[in-house]
Amino acid sequence: MSGPAEAVIAGAEIAAGHDGSAELVLRLRYPNGGQGVVVLEADKGLELMAACGAAHLDELAGHSWRKLLEGTCST
Amino acid sequence: MFDVIVRNGLVVDGSGEKAFKGDVAVKDGLIAAVGEVSGPARREIDAGGRVIAPGFIDPHTHFDVQLLWDGAARPALEHGVTCIVPGNCSLSLAPLKAADRPKVVGMFQQIEEMPPEAFTQAFDWSWEDFAGYRDAIARNLSINVAPLVGHSVIRLWVMGEAAQQRTATPAEIAAMQDLLRECLAAGAVGLSTSFVDLDEHGRPVPSRFADFAELDALSAVLGEFGRMLQCVPEFYDVDITIARIDQLSELSLKHAIPTTFSPVFDNTSTPDNAPRILARVEEQFARGARVWPQMQTRPIDISFSLLRPSLFFARLPRWVRVLRQPLEARLHSLNDPDTVAKMVEDLGPDGGRKMMGGLIVRGGDAAPAEMVGRTLGEIAAERGQVPAQALIDISLAHGLDVAFLAADMGHEDTDRIGPMLAHPLVHIGASDGGAHIASFSTYGDTGYLFSEFVRKSGRLSLEHAVRKITAETADIWGLKGRGRLTPGHAADIVVFDPATIDRAEERPVFDMPGEGMRYVRDARGVDAVLVNGEVAYLGGAYTDAKSGVVCV
Amino acid sequence: MDLTPQRRFVTPLAGERVEDLAARALPDEPLGSAVDQIRSWNLHIFAMRKPAGLILGSDVVFVEPPRR
Repeated sequence: MSGPAEAVIAGAEIAAGHDGSAELVLRLRYPNGGQGVVVLEADKGLELMAACGAAHLDELAGHSWRKLLEGTCST
Repeated sequence: MFDVIVRNGLVVDGSGEKAFKGDVAVKDGLIAAVGEVSGPARREIDAGGRVIAPGFIDPHTHFDVQLLWDGAARPALEHGVTCIVPGNCSLSLAPLKAADRPKVVGMFQQIEEMPPEAFTQAFDWSWEDFAGYRDAIARNLSINVAPLVGHSVIRLWVMGEAAQQRTATPAEIAAMQDLLRECLAAGAVGLSTSFVDLDEHGRPVPSRFADFAELDALSAVLGEFGRMLQCVPEFYDVDITIARIDQLSELSLKHAIPTTFSPVFDNTSTPDNAPRILARVEEQFARGARVWPQMQTRPIDISFSLLRPSLFFARLPRWVRVLRQPLEARLHSLNDPDTVAKMVEDLGPDGGRKMMGGLIVRGGDAAPAEMVGRTLGEIAAERGQVPAQALIDISLAHGLDVAFLAADMGHEDTDRIGPMLAHPLVHIGASDGGAHIASFSTYGDTGYLFSEFVRKSGRLSLEHAVRKITAETADIWGLKGRGRLTPGHAADIVVFDPATIDRAEERPVFDMPGEGMRYVRDARGVDAVLVNGEVAYLGGAYTDAKSGVVCV
Repeated sequence: MDLTPQRRFVTPLAGERVEDLAARALPDEPLGSAVDQIRSWNLHIFAMRKPAGLILGSDVVFVEPPRR
């Protein structure tokens, strides 16, 4: 089975962070079938949902990993 | 004549061997006899129906500042903890030049959430070097302290501003080695570093700017003393954590040092993570490395108020939209009946009973006392409202400054975590005692170990649980003469009721300098705590004993 | 005892930028593609961190995607 051409968000959940805040846990699926995890704090998580036009967590699935870089200035 | 005899208890001596009925006698601060002890003592404590165990050791705390005005590290001691390890996560209060104090205070405030008065009014900041800090806390100790020295402050001492800008030169690394050597000679139990922590401006702490060569060089100094390297890995990502395990293992093998990393969490959203971490730890131990994962006993809670947007509402788009607005617009929306009606409608026919009914009103903020500690479901029912409506109304009535707590939202599955805590290579710790004080309580994890994993679920025997937080901890950290009820060992003793030992409900208190607030949990079922042979806590009250020492 | 192979990583050299690191870690890839891949495999540096993309001396930088 072939995977996506680039890493995409495969799923999202809310989890308890070490500091007692709610965090957004994103599962990313890579073209090789491997899965990675990205954890975003509230501001960034909500920004990502806005950037993806996602009203629900489920709507984050399928978006490119590049969405995670939006609004950031990589060096 | 003995100084103290604790009589007629169930002796759980820390070795893991079967408990037996007997007495424990103390003389000159040491355990003098264990078993059936005859002869008089200046003081006797009846332990009938109780367990007599070695005092518990908490290997991951941030009591560095609090110890300067509270030598008992309250409420740690009343939970049966007789030895704490502060200075974790790369941060300690020494060595620290006077000019660098504001920087490190900021970092401590980020981690501990102490009010500023804690650093300006509560103690006389008289030291710069590690020996000076050791002497400053040693004057007033009721609890034993095995302090780590922080990599970030060592870096700051040697590199100044550049500590948060770049890797170190060979000369700077050599200077750090000399400084670490001085700290270890002055009583540091090891070095702590962090790959995760941030300062108050959100910048990585100095230790994160160090390359592996620097850590290797510092570990070589630890090797001269056989001392511990503690680190905080990127615990949210299992691949990075495994990479850190491999790095620590390399250092452990090369320099013959113990290493430990914390925290390790088990979460149902990433169920493979903790098992993969433990599998790697097993492989590295099989090679001879000592790389101890620290796992906390307590579950993780989520807390929030409507003052700031929280991902707790991420499945409710309208709530997210409203709560992400600037404060004035947010208040306007929350006061608009049509908007609120739609928000409540979004919760479905139960009005949020399932999602919000179990939320607990926390207190310590503007919440009225009569609501604190109760569930939103109960309060809403009294008000004749659904929980979603009550949450909004209660928040609005108190300027949005009401915190709600969703309990057991992570690291909460006893059936999964119990076997991990029982694992011979898992180090029970990571309490973070004294940190995050305004966010949640970091006290009473030992009580929770006994109530949840021994009494309720039977995942660990009493003897095993005691061993994990006494003798094993002492052995892992090289704390000589502690952690066991053996003649000649320090008389650090806890007497507790195995049927009731627990942590109480979380509650806010205002006992920090400047009337600063923190959340605590009182101890339940702990009758007496002896530190180096003196009774430091008895019958629900602290004594005047100041018998704690800085120990390695 | 042999160690189970894990995801490969490098640690940054002093002063290394993502372009330098990508060229070192993936020498056979065109630079643009190498940088892109390094970013996508290291979102702890390029998405989670503030400021995003700040490479630290202590970083673990993966040179391949997750293996499973």
